[in-house]
Amino acid sequence: MTTTTHSRVPTGAARAASPAPSASGLRAHRAAKRRQLTAAGVLMTPFFALLVTVFLIPVGTAVYLSFFSDDQPGLGFGPERTVFVGLRSYAAVLTDPTFLGGLGTVALYCLIYIPLMVVGALALALLLDSGVVRLRALAQLGLFLPHAVPGIIAALIWLYLYTPGISPVIELFAKGDITIDFLGVHTVLPSIVNIALWSNLGYNMVVFYAALQAVPREVIEASVVDGAGPVRTALQVKTPLVRASIVMVSIFTLIWALQLFTEPMLLSQSSPMINSRFSPSMYIYDAAFTRNNYSLAAAASVVLLVCTIALSYGVTRFTSRADSEEAR
Amino acid sequence: MPGRPSRRSVLAAMTALPLAGAASACSGGNGASSARTGTTTRITFWSALRGSQEVVDAFNRTHRNIQVEFQQIPSGGQGGYAKLSNAARAGNAPDVATLEYPQVPGFAIDGVARDITDLVSDGLRRKLLPQALGLTTFERRVFAVPLDVEPMVMHYRADLFDEYGLEVARTWDEFAEQAATVRRRTPDRRLVLFPTDGMTQFACYAWQAGAQWFDTSKGAWNVSLADAPSRRVGEYWQRLIDRDDVFMNAVESRQSDAQIGNGLVLTRLTGAWDAGAQMNARPGQKGQWRIAPLPQWDTASPATGTHGGSTFAITEDSRHPEAAMEFIEWQVSHPDSLRARLSSGTSSQYPAAPGLVSVGRDAFDRSYYGGQDIYTLFEQEAEKIGDQWLWGPRMSATQKVMQDSFARVSGGQGSLVESLRTAQDGTMPDLKALGLSTTQHST
Repeated sequence: MTTTTHSRVPTGAARAASPAPSASGLRAHRAAKRRQLTAAGVLMTPFFALLVTVFLIPVGTAVYLSFFSDDQPGLGFGPERTVFVGLRSYAAVLTDPTFLGGLGTVALYCLIYIPLMVVGALALALLLDSGVVRLRALAQLGLFLPHAVPGIIAALIWLYLYTPGISPVIELFAKGDITIDFLGVHTVLPSIVNIALWSNLGYNMVVFYAALQAVPREVIEASVVDGAGPVRTALQVKTPLVRASIVMVSIFTLIWALQLFTEPMLLSQSSPMINSRFSPSMYIYDAAFTRNNYSLAAAASVVLLVCTIALSYGVTRFTSRADSEEAR
Repeated sequence: MPGRPSRRSVLAAMTALPLAGAASACSGGNGASSARTGTTTRITFWSALRGSQEVVDAFNRTHRNIQVEFQQIPSGGQGGYAKLSNAARAGNAPDVATLEYPQVPGFAIDGVARDITDLVSDGLRRKLLPQALGLTTFERRVFAVPLDVEPMVMHYRADLFDEYGLEVARTWDEFAEQAATVRRRTPDRRLVLFPTDGMTQFACYAWQAGAQWFDTSKGAWNVSLADAPSRRVGEYWQRLIDRDDVFMNAVESRQSDAQIGNGLVLTRLTGAWDAGAQMNARPGQKGQWRIAPLPQWDTASPATGTHGGSTFAITEDSRHPEAAMEFIEWQVSHPDSLRARLSSGTSSQYPAAPGLVSVGRDAFDRSYYGGQDIYTLFEQEAEKIGDQWLWGPRMSATQKVMQDSFARVSGGQGSLVESLRTAQDGTMPDLKALGLSTTQHST
């Protein structure tokens, strides 16, 4: 918008002032264009500087590390030399049952977490938008507040609530003769999902709520006039209109979920059911910092990155195809 | 209520965990401050061993030319090894570092521990138990000097054994029968604990049975964590676990402390060092414990393995390896060194230099064990240590995977033998990615 008005004003002024518009008009046009480019350059430099330093260089380093290694021949006690090892580290990662197990864990986590998150956040946003809820601002704040708590603190709070012997929740259940082990073999993943939901539900709800605010009121009114009840309005009118937000939230949640790290890392302190290679991110951390195996860690990072990109691309493609089919 | 943590202490521990990691990661700044001032060479020494300060003080009192700056660091699993790796990467590792036997090959491969073959004098070599030096020697090159070698023994509650009318078991079969007896007679007591965090204990049981988890004799790392002797040991303990004849939980836990403190567990199968640790941790049980040899598979050819024990390595970063070796040699072979360590009252280490055993026998306060001459027992047991054993190149990782799997067994998933296979599968990718030659032949 700004660009068009900017360029129009000088040309218009030049045309009015001068009978021979071409020379000075062109000069002014060029100057404006140059100013724009400079402004764009200045404004975008920080972004590209950060992109290069915190994304491209680390990714490049990881790719390099995954293909080269400080090898010692035989038993490994000889002098080190850096050699190109091809796909050796990738072969090691992809044949490591603990890494594949971690991928499986995260896949299961995504299957539980993402639908719960998207449906839950959307349902809350629709409720708030429908006007059923009194004290809307307060409800919104209450739901959003957990997101302001840093992930590690949240995990600590929940660790306290999950740990037998100190948890008031478990004590309460025990009084009712119910034994609950939040950190057992089958309950530990749902327990992690619960922490993540608690932290992020409010944030995604706000995203949906903002999108719902942009739905034209006349569309809603039209549906009411046509006899749609509040539930039908919410599900068949509002929801399709915030489709773009749903896709966006799904992708962000997916990317976030694939990097599962903080919660299991902290819970692993008090549950033997979470091992040091529970998720791919924990595997990478363990490989680099306790096993001193940088090639392996780098290869695992690249595998995780490729999985993330592929899945994000898959979600985008899938939804855009669905979109175009719907349009037809 | 003993054994039950207060809410506040657990919360404090939880918040301290990440902080402790961060602190240990960045406090390695003054590591390699070894320097020659005048005629005195200053070297730095890191250790988590009890009584190290007393030893260093004794060394510094008697040596003019070398002065040692000692820094107590957290034990390996609590961040000590991470601290050492980070310091080595940053080029400021101490001159002398303490490594437990299982970590020696890993630190040697990573180039943290220096090849000290030429620094180890023939005199020192002769003083050391060959099985101990064998654990720190690879391809005929020595990477660390053993301080103590700890044969696994059976610590038992003599008073409770009398109460149940039990004799010390000579074979594992007798031991299993006793385990059943104890549980039958007192349902909340058990003969022994199978530790879910006990790869080192399990390794020692397997070692005793003749297992060979790692072998380098053919020029490649042969890994066979689930070889026939290990499977035999795994099946034995699995039977005891299935019958609920043993406790199964972590040994490094309040639960285990409570089991020992409240007299719920009758024996502890640990290294010789644990005698001193027990005296220190539970002075109130004075006179109740005695020590016996480990039960045997074959009484005709008795064997044992080691559980615990430490070595000293000189780092690549050290600028004074000769001075560092002089300090190490004094520490592992001089009577004053052992006297100083035992004077702290918290150690019962069994020296890797057999010449020092008589010093230990005289310096150790026997009253806790009712006057039993435990050093003579240790001496007999040390000779039975099998010499076939080697530790692997990434023992911390192998240990974690195996123990994670043990913990699942305690939750009712899988078996001990499967845990061994899981640990093997979780170890191989690491070794391959390091570029080591590997094989997986097994018996």
